[in-house]
Amino acid sequence: MVRGLQSLRRLHILVVENDPNACGRIQQALGSGFIVQNAQSLTEAKLHLEKQIPDVLICEVLLGQESGLDLCRFIRTTSHSPLCHIPIMLLTSLTTLQDKVAGFDAGADDYVVKPFDARHLMARIRLLSRIKRLEKQNDE
Amino acid sequence: MKKVLVIDDNPTIVELIKYAVNLQGAYQVVVAYDGVQGLERVYAEQPDCVIIDVKMPRMDGYQLVRCLRGDARTANTPLIILSAMTREEDQMTGLLSGVDEYLTKPFKPSALNAAIERVLHLTPADRQRRMDYLVQTQAERE
Repeated sequence: MVRGLQSLRRLHILVVENDPNACGRIQQALGSGFIVQNAQSLTEAKLHLEKQIPDVLICEVLLGQESGLDLCRFIRTTSHSPLCHIPIMLLTSLTTLQDKVAGFDAGADDYVVKPFDARHLMARIRLLSRIKRLEKQNDE
Repeated sequence: MKKVLVIDDNPTIVELIKYAVNLQGAYQVVVAYDGVQGLERVYAEQPDCVIIDVKMPRMDGYQLVRCLRGDARTANTPLIILSAMTREEDQMTGLLSGVDEYLTKPFKPSALNAAIERVLHLTPADRQRRMDYLVQTQAERE
């Protein structure tokens, strides 16, 4: 029998999103099962990452003059091992096939198109975290 | 007639799958030979079921499955992985990525056709229940 998902460990999520409304919707969707921090720019995101490695990074691609894809590439090419293994989910309003291919090429593990379903998003974040742990175990 | 999309970079395997699926005679089969072409064809053809290999150029099968599940237009498209990767971890990665069935090669045509029949009957509620179950059971392993 499946217990309530609220009883699961609280995952630490860094949301890189410069639209306060979108950020609010994500926080509301995740509810109390997650510890959510927000960064509004790549610089702010990197400062957060220096202090703490989140369980999952959620990132919008469109960040004003900046691109979330640059953050993906920065994370994947860093030599700092725990950082380069972070599960990255792009949660974006970009929907074309080229956008999706570019997202995976930049190093994203998952690509979710807005608008999102809250329950679906919560589950996907947890499953993505588990997939990356399995990958890490296999690599070791 | 239901439409099945087969995505595999090995043309011989594609022909085998086409043959197996056609034994049933009830499906129109369309094909793609890598992950990106597969994604293109999903949106162009809107298949009733997609059979996906894992190891493919440009975009692998797991990425393709996550990409399809992350878009409301394809979040409930029936998806089957048919792969030569037989380890338990490979199957688990496929299921966690959102695939409905994970079959291994070599495959029996009857097993593939039975899997297609099963996934065609899944509802969005079935998929959400499966997802919640996976979340719960996998969290307990950590």
